[in-house]
Order: sequence, then structure tokens, then C-alpha cells
Amino acid sequence: MRNFIECINLNMFFFTIRSFFQKLVTLLFISIISFLVVYLAPGEPSQIDPLNPKFTPDDLVKFRQEFNLDKPLHVQYYLFYKNLFIGELKSWKDNQPVLGKIHERFLNSLWLFIVGTLITWCLSFPVGIGAAIKRGSVFDRTTTFFAYVLISIPSFFFAYIIIIFVVQTFNIPVIGMQTFGMAQAGELYRAMDRIWHLVIPSILGALGGIALLSRYVRAQMLEVIHQDYIRTARAKGLSSDRVYYRHGLRNALLPFVTMFGLILPGLIGGSVIIESIFAWPGMGRMGYEAIIARDYPIIIALNFIAAVLTLIGTFISDLLYMVVDPRIRL
Amino acid sequence: MLIKRVLILLPVLIFFILLQSFFWVPTYDEQARGNPHRLEEYITASIGDAKILNPILNADNASSTIADQVFDGLIDRDEDLRFRGRLAESWYIFEEAYFYLNPKALINGQTITDPENIKLKLLSYKGDSPSLKKTLLNIKNIEIIPPTKGETIVQVPGPDTNEDGFPDPVNVEVSFKAPPRFKVTLKKVDQGFFENIKSILGNGYFKTFPASDYVEVESAGHQDKLSVIAPQVIPAVEHNPVIIFLLRKGVTFHDGHEFDARDVEFTYQSIMDSENLSPRISDYEPVKSLEVMDNHTVKVVYKRLYQPAFGTWAMGMLPEHLLNKDALRMEAEAKGEDPETFSIRDSDFNRSPVGTGPFTFREWKSDQYIVLDRYKDYWEGAPNYKSYTFRIVPDLLTQEMEFYGGAIDSYGVQPHQVERLKNDPAYQNFSGLSFGYTYIGYNMRRDLFKDKKVRRALGMAIDVDKIIKYVMYDQAEKITGPFVKQTDYYDKDIQPLPYDPEGALKLLQEAGWQRNGEGKLEKDGKVLAFTLITNSGNDLRKSILAIAQDAWKKIGIDVKTDIVEWTVFLGKHVNTGDFDALILGWSMGIDPDLYQIWHSSQTNKMQLNFVGFKNNEADDLIIKIRQEYDYDKQVAYCHQLHRIIADEQPYTFLYVGKWTAVLDKKIVLKEVLPSGEEKIKKITPTKTGNYSFHFNKWIKLAENPVFDTE
Repeated sequence: MRNFIECINLNMFFFTIRSFFQKLVTLLFISIISFLVVYLAPGEPSQIDPLNPKFTPDDLVKFRQEFNLDKPLHVQYYLFYKNLFIGELKSWKDNQPVLGKIHERFLNSLWLFIVGTLITWCLSFPVGIGAAIKRGSVFDRTTTFFAYVLISIPSFFFAYIIIIFVVQTFNIPVIGMQTFGMAQAGELYRAMDRIWHLVIPSILGALGGIALLSRYVRAQMLEVIHQDYIRTARAKGLSSDRVYYRHGLRNALLPFVTMFGLILPGLIGGSVIIESIFAWPGMGRMGYEAIIARDYPIIIALNFIAAVLTLIGTFISDLLYMVVDPRIRL
Repeated sequence: MLIKRVLILLPVLIFFILLQSFFWVPTYDEQARGNPHRLEEYITASIGDAKILNPILNADNASSTIADQVFDGLIDRDEDLRFRGRLAESWYIFEEAYFYLNPKALINGQTITDPENIKLKLLSYKGDSPSLKKTLLNIKNIEIIPPTKGETIVQVPGPDTNEDGFPDPVNVEVSFKAPPRFKVTLKKVDQGFFENIKSILGNGYFKTFPASDYVEVESAGHQDKLSVIAPQVIPAVEHNPVIIFLLRKGVTFHDGHEFDARDVEFTYQSIMDSENLSPRISDYEPVKSLEVMDNHTVKVVYKRLYQPAFGTWAMGMLPEHLLNKDALRMEAEAKGEDPETFSIRDSDFNRSPVGTGPFTFREWKSDQYIVLDRYKDYWEGAPNYKSYTFRIVPDLLTQEMEFYGGAIDSYGVQPHQVERLKNDPAYQNFSGLSFGYTYIGYNMRRDLFKDKKVRRALGMAIDVDKIIKYVMYDQAEKITGPFVKQTDYYDKDIQPLPYDPEGALKLLQEAGWQRNGEGKLEKDGKVLAFTLITNSGNDLRKSILAIAQDAWKKIGIDVKTDIVEWTVFLGKHVNTGDFDALILGWSMGIDPDLYQIWHSSQTNKMQLNFVGFKNNEADDLIIKIRQEYDYDKQVAYCHQLHRIIADEQPYTFLYVGKWTAVLDKKIVLKEVLPSGEEKIKKITPTKTGNYSFHFNKWIKLAENPVFDTE
């Protein structure tokens, strides 16, 4: 508590303000760059299929006018972000407001994100701690092996193998947010069905995270248990559980507090592949499809939101770091 | 130690909760587990989401699949791909042909200025030419329209060009004083009418019609264009085909409102309204007028002979009462938008459509699904399925997996899977030919490809059978020309080019190409070399690229290849005509109109005849085909055209793909006999391979059916 109060001083206040404005400037540049990258990519968006023999150049001109594509780039930039902020920006694909679409998809991604994060954090700690405590044991070696396997092989590879295995063996649907045609089934059946559909994608989404995080936990734990105060605790005659879990774990946890801030942007970027494979109607998949369809408003808006989330994430982790570890003053 | 226990128990608990849910979920064999309604639902899947559920605005496959269930057209095609009535119970087609009195033309040495005399001459002709007799017998009546005068605005190409290299049109005001005109009503459309009556009126009667004498250009600076403008304002002859649709009575929209002629009129007007940006606008450009004759009769008059226009009436009909000006204004006001700029494109209708089709719209969740319910009062009888769900599954493997799990009822099989899935007793399968073909096109503007022999030789050097076998896993057929293979327009007697590298070499030698010391083909010191390109992202075309290169190298041609990103491919190569040879495919409609792809007028930049095919005979046939309303004659012209194109080989026609679909075996046809008894039948495809033709009679059973042997 004393630590905390100490932190809220002028120094910290200035840091916060400065950091905030730095991030705002960064955001401005990101907005310009992400706009330019998308607009300067080769190709023209249009709602017409170029393979359609009935397609005429006149139609293209009309569409360009409709979507401001005939205006100079800086005007388009201004109109784009103005519309985004007043909520008038519409997707070119279906004329729906971009913010509404993103909100809906956000809620879907959220479930996957929560369960995935829960699995990652709940599993990484026991595994990492166990491996650190029994360093060199069979358990440690196995987890190390699997961690490296998971880190080096991309998750979509496992996704396909697991899907094919589960579906061919059990003839049971695993894709999407729920089994289709279940809308009229009983409440309990539907709830269980939804949970079932969360299982595989969230585990797959978590795999990479578990591998990395458990390695990190193991390293932190190892560093801590070689400290003098652990030896002291042991010398006092405390049980080894008490030494590891009270004295060791608490100190090893420090760096992880700040990682909470950094998982925020994972909401958008972390799930593109898994969501696409599992037909999960989340934000990652929306972004992917928007790129394929050259739906610029969605692409840029998502980019912008991802940037905002990342900046907020780093901001939070900066703050947390200062709170937790007063030695660091940036 | 509490922390230790929590650390171990928490993940165990989470995994227990997650995994036990497995036992509650239905499987393929027990799709009704916990959910008996599943059997009354049809679930299908698509790679892409629909964009706009409005038949006049949509331009993608997914949207039109849904629109087809929610909307009905006036007509559609039956099991043999011939037209049949839907919202139109029947129709008849005739022609109103117009021509102006030509007071200067000599008929048997003298001019005739009294229109009555001309009329009399036509009606009282007693000749013995059978074709002329037929033409005259086809006349229902002749009406004389007295001289007219007036003013109008004509668009002519202006001095400025737009960015695509086309001249910007300018408006020119003109006034005219037209001579008397004849309106000849023909019982049947006859594109040879004017040609045939020349033997009565004299050869030059139409050609020498002095249109310029009757027209004056009012806008300053455009007087020199009189000779271009005058025939536009007062054309010597005009064919106006007329379609009368007799609409079905008692058909209602899903909201209970009755469908009538005004809905047809409204649908047409909405397409033509440029504010709606309808991609169908060019389809309906040939319409001169659309007239509501009574509540259930519509008369459509066309500006010129254009037979493919008839097929456009298969497009879904919009409900006028939900989308007219008043309805749109109310919607705009409710949404707080400007009613002046609020068009059909902005309306919520496009995401919750109301039509007259067999299914009514329930819900659309973007990139997830679209659900339709059956329409109980459908005029043809309500479908058996209670609902129709269209899922959006972007990944093919996922679609396959969902099909195995029983969460999708049908699956479009990939070529390499056909062998495996066709023999799987758990599913029923169907297959047929698709509407499109893959080809190698040669740029005939390049000297190298101007010689027919060279194009032919290149085609003969490629073993298409091998491509079909190894690239397409035998899921394709050879094709010899530009028509849809399962229609009558395609001439099945035309043989594909033989695979004959020796013969190809001989042909090339005839064309002057000799093998040099290195074994390369050479003519006048130049080696036979060119670049073959295709777009990236298409593995089939990539394989063909390699095969063609290899085959041509073997006979001594120096072929380079290149794979280009799609937009660059179109923008830099196809649209500008800057390529030697390319691999591409066309997807086609059933209509035999080849104007845009094969007519010599379509060889400019941005146009679709990018290989630069020019053939007078073909041009003539292409025009005749689009002007012919008699099916048999049209088929005959198509066969002639097919022969010319197959002979000229502007493309090496490779193959048309076969599709295969598998369906849950528990889906059957259910018919209710007049006695009230239900009869279950196996689903059989139509002659053209369409298995979902009787979709409204489909239903799913709880267990695999056993059919009576019939």
C-alpha cells in the first residue's frame, strides 16, 4: 500500500500525460499510414464481378462516385475518419455501419478470447511452476519438448488435424459458434452445444500462448528460486510448498502483471486464422474477409481499432509496471 | 497448500466443464438428438456471404441464391433449359416493324408519295417467291402514321475523351419533320422482314431514305454531324419486338399484398432509375417502353431485335407497395435521412426482402447465416421444408467437415475427392457439367498469331486429355466452342482438335516455320517465341501453364510464362490487349449471345474480345443470333458460328469442368398423392444434371430411406 501511494506523485502524473500525448501522435501516424497502405495497394474496389461479361465501364464510374473514390486522397482521408468518428462510415460490401458490425463481431470474439485466455493462464502456471521445481525431470523435459513443438508448428496445422480427427471419428460438428439447426432445441442442449463449439478453437488458440507463457513462467520461477531469500526461507524450516508458492511464486509473478495490458490487442489480431478455419464470426475473420473483398472501411477501421487497443495496452502495462516495480521510471 | 490446489484444480475444472458438453451435441446419424425440428430444415453452405438481397441490385452468387428462393421472376427455365412461365402464366411475342415513306425512291421507275399506295402494294402483292409469300403472310396489319414534327436531344461522341479512352458524349438539340411512317404489325418476329420486302419496294428503298432532309441540328457547332445524327432521330427502318406477359392471378407477396402488373412496371423502372445503380441496367437498356395494359397484363416493347432480353425477365419481381416513393420517404424520415437522396439501395429492404417466392425471409447475420421460412401461401404449393438456412463457411475443408457432422446437408465436392465420396454409401451424389470453360487465348493483333495454322498447331500440340486426367482428376470434358455444352446451341458434331505434335509441326512448316540447328522453330531468322500468362491464385491455370509450356517447347517453340496478380493481370494485360497468349476462363449464361466476347466491334481497350478476333461471317452470325426469336433458326445460326470459331481457333478451347455434389442420404422427394397418401421418392436429377429442380418437394427423414423398386 505504501508503495502504491508513493507512486501517485507528480512525477507519475507528468509521465502519464506525456505518455498519453506520445501515443496520440503515434495514433495519428498510424491512421495515415494504414489509410495509405490500403488505398495505394493495386486494384480497385467495386461491387461488380469483373468476370461478368455484362459489366460496363460506366457502372464503375458510378460506383466510384458513390463511394468518394473519385476525390483526391487527402479529402478521402478526411471524409473517412470523419465518418468513422460520427458513426456514419458504412461497409462497401453491404452498406451496414462499420461500428455496428464491429461491435457485433467483438462480442463473438470476446467469448473465444476469454476462454482462450483462461485456458492459457490457468494451464501455463501449473506447467511452468512444475517444470521449474522439478528441473531436469521427465516432466520438465516433456513439457519443454512440447512447448518447442507448439511454438514452431503453426496452430492452423493442428487445427486441421484435430478437426479432421474429431469429425471423422465422432461424426460431430465442431465448426462455428453452434451446431446449425439447434435453434429450436432445449435451452440446456443449446448451452452445451455452444460450450462444445468453444472447446476446440479456444484450446487451439491457446496452444501457442501456453507454450510461450509456460516457458516464461518456468524461467522466472527458476530465477527466483535461486535467490538468497528462498534459501533463507528454506533454512527457516518452511515446507517446500510454502517456500515455492508463497515466497517464490509471488516474486516470480511480478513481470506477468504487466502482461495483462499486452494481451488486449490479441482480441483482434490473435484470432484471424483460428476464426477463419472455424467459421467463427469474430473480428479477426471479419478483417480477413474485408481484405479479400477490398472492403476498405472495415479494413482501415479494424486497423485503427487494433492500433488503439495496442496503444492502450502498452499504456496500461507502462502504468502497471510502475505501480508494481517502483524502481522503473521511464 | 491452497494456492497449489487452486493451481491444479482450476484447469481440471475448466476442462471438465468444456469437455462434458460433447455428450449433448447431435451427430450425423442422430441429427434429431435433442432437436426433432432438424429434419424440417435444409441447411446449405457457401464460401462467401450475400451482399445485397435485392434481385435488381445483387451481382454475386450468394445473393442471387437467396434471391431465387425469396423472389420469383416472370419466367424461368424448365428441366430442358427452355423457358416456362412463373409469375407470368404465359406470354406471346410479336413484332411492330416501322419504316418511313421514301418519296425519292424509285419503284418500278417511278416515285410513290402517297402512303396508301405503298400499303396497297404490300398487301396486294401476288408473286410466286415462297419466302416473300411467307413474309407477307406474317403481316397482321399495316397502319399509316401521319407526318410528325418535334424536337429531341441526341447524344453524340464529343471531342473530349475520358480516362478509359472513350469519347465523352455531348448532348445535341435537334428538330425534325418526319414523313409519313408505316407501322407493320407482324405475327411473329422476323429479322428478314425489310430485306424480303425489298423485292417489292426496290433494293434502295431503305438505303436511300434521305433522313438528313428531315432533321435540323439546333445546337451550334454540331451541324457537321447531321449525317450521323439524322439516322438516329429518323431511322429508315426499325424493328420493335413486343412481349405481352399474362400474369398469374392470385399470387401474393409474403406480406399478403397481391402481385400485379404494377409490380412488374415498378421493378423495371427501379432498374432504369440511375440513382439505384443497378448492375442490371444494361440488360434492360433495349426496352423501349413497358406498359401496364390491365392488372394482369404487361406489354414490353423493345427498341430493336434483341432476343437475349427475354431471358432477363427471369429476374425477381419487387413489391411496389414497399419500395415506392412514399414508402422510401417514410423510411428515410424514420431513419432521419434526407428523403431526396434516399434510394432503394439505402433501404432496409435489401437486408429483409419481401418477395413472392417459396421462402420468406427471417434473419440475416452477416458472415454467419441467412435463414428463410417457407411461405405457406406459395402459389405453387408450400415447400416441404419448414426452413432454408444458408450458411457462410469460408473454408472448403470446413464445409466438408460440417457436412460429415450433419450440420450441412449438401457439399460441393472438389475434383480430387470425387472418387472417394461418390462411392461412400452414407451419401447420395449428383454430377453435371458447369456453365463455363477454360481456354488459351491468342492475341490476334500480334503477327505471330495472325496465321490460323499457327493457332491450330499450338492447339494440336497440347494433350487436353492429359490435362483433364491429371489436373482435373477426370472431372472435366473437352469443349470445342463458346456455347454451353449441355444446350442445343452447342454443336456436338464438331470434333475437338486431335492431339498430334507431328501434325502440329507440319502445320507450322506450312506456315513457314522451320526447325533450325538447335531444334528451335525459325522463320526469316526469327525464332518462334512468345509469353504465356495467367493470373495468380488459380492452381489449375498454373498447372495448365506449365503443361502448355512443356508441350510447346517439345516442338521447338520458345515459350516464356508469367503469373500475374489478378488486378494487374486485368489492368495491364487483358484490358489493354498487351499480351501474347493467356490462360483464362469464361463463366457463361445459357443465352447464346456472344456479342461482347466475339464481335469485332468489341476489340478495343477494356472490352471483352481482347484476343482481337475479327471475322465478318462470324460478326454477321453473332448479330443474327441475338436478333432471332425462332428457337430452331437460332440454334442453326449458333451451329454455324460454332463451326467458324472452332475452325479459326482464336482460343485453344480446353475443357468445361464437371461439378459433383453430395447430399445427405436421408433427404428424399415427398409428394402428397391426391388420395392424401404420402409417397417417398429418390431424388433424380433433370436431363441437364440439375438435382435441386424439385427442391420444394424435398424433406429429410430420420433414418436412411428404403425405396420401393419401381
